[in-house]
Amino acid sequence: MLADYFDGSMDPRLREELDDHLSRCEPCTAFTKTFRATCEGTRKLREVIEHAIPPDVRERLETFVRSAALKYPEKVKEYRDQVERDRREKVADLVRAATAGKLSSATALLMESHCAACTECRKYFDALRNTGTPRAGDPPAGIRSHVIALMQALPPGEEFFLA
Amino acid sequence: MSTERWKDDEALLGSLRKGAPGAVDELLRLYQGKIFNLAMSILKNESDAEEAAQDVFMTVIRKADTFQGNSAFYSWIYRICVNTCLMRLRGRRRKETVSIEEFMPVFTDEGMHASPMDDWSKEVERDALNEELGKMIRKFTGELSEKYRVVFVLSDVEGLSNEETAKILGLTVPAIKSRLHRARLYLRERLSRYLREGKAG
Repeated sequence: MLADYFDGSMDPRLREELDDHLSRCEPCTAFTKTFRATCEGTRKLREVIEHAIPPDVRERLETFVRSAALKYPEKVKEYRDQVERDRREKVADLVRAATAGKLSSATALLMESHCAACTECRKYFDALRNTGTPRAGDPPAGIRSHVIALMQALPPGEEFFLA
Repeated sequence: MSTERWKDDEALLGSLRKGAPGAVDELLRLYQGKIFNLAMSILKNESDAEEAAQDVFMTVIRKADTFQGNSAFYSWIYRICVNTCLMRLRGRRRKETVSIEEFMPVFTDEGMHASPMDDWSKEVERDALNEELGKMIRKFTGELSEKYRVVFVLSDVEGLSNEETAKILGLTVPAIKSRLHRARLYLRERLSRYLREGKAG
């Protein structure tokens, strides 16, 4: 309750009553004043704390982070390549599942409504289903990007094919 | 949080992602003091805090690319720091902390404050005492148990909102509010006792 009083979220009527009491009660006035002074003291501490890192720690930290960061660009490339590979695999999985009619119900629904609007995808998947075998290699870029968007539209954790 | 900080963060995140020269320097300039102090206040040991800070910055640099942007950049960094430190704490023997109950307000049957209530708020406005007050706040905060300490440091020292602190720690806002209030009550009482003893001695 006191927390509400200090952060200003207390009911105004209750607040008025409390204010009235505070104006007449010496110990309570002392309490609120010192409570506020404590919070103010902490707030001031914030301003000095940024400079409170010991110089030798600062120096070691800077040297370490800078030298480690130099190796960073290669790491980023590695990481992006990995993401790309994972995505490629997922697209292939989905295309396979679509061909075999093994999409989960949510994905099948998404796919259906997308294909109703997108001639390119409809033709591509119809052809796949007719021949019954997924074509080797990745789908064309346009279809690929639609498939990725479709996967991203699924709720997180939702599998896009039936087990 | 101020809009200035938002803009700084936005620009920093952009240049970190591009791997722009100077991005790492800027990251260090803006955050090394904060991160080191946050780590210090959780781990309470300088060499541990230093290692934790190294880990934090490496994680930030490595993951800047994948940062989703659904929370503010600074609160993401704080979260990494809190997680890194808590991981380090795990398995380590907990240091002695004081019992917060001992410093909660006590009332008499008549509803009066049981402990003497001096008003020292005017005294600490003097500069000499002001600096001392800061030191004492740090010392007494350090003696709080981790549960209250981390909340207090994030909210009151770092100035994050209750919502942000709640998100970082994975707690509810009412839980943050309650811990924060108890930490403040504790601190006020400890400062009172400290100043009272100082005057007596």
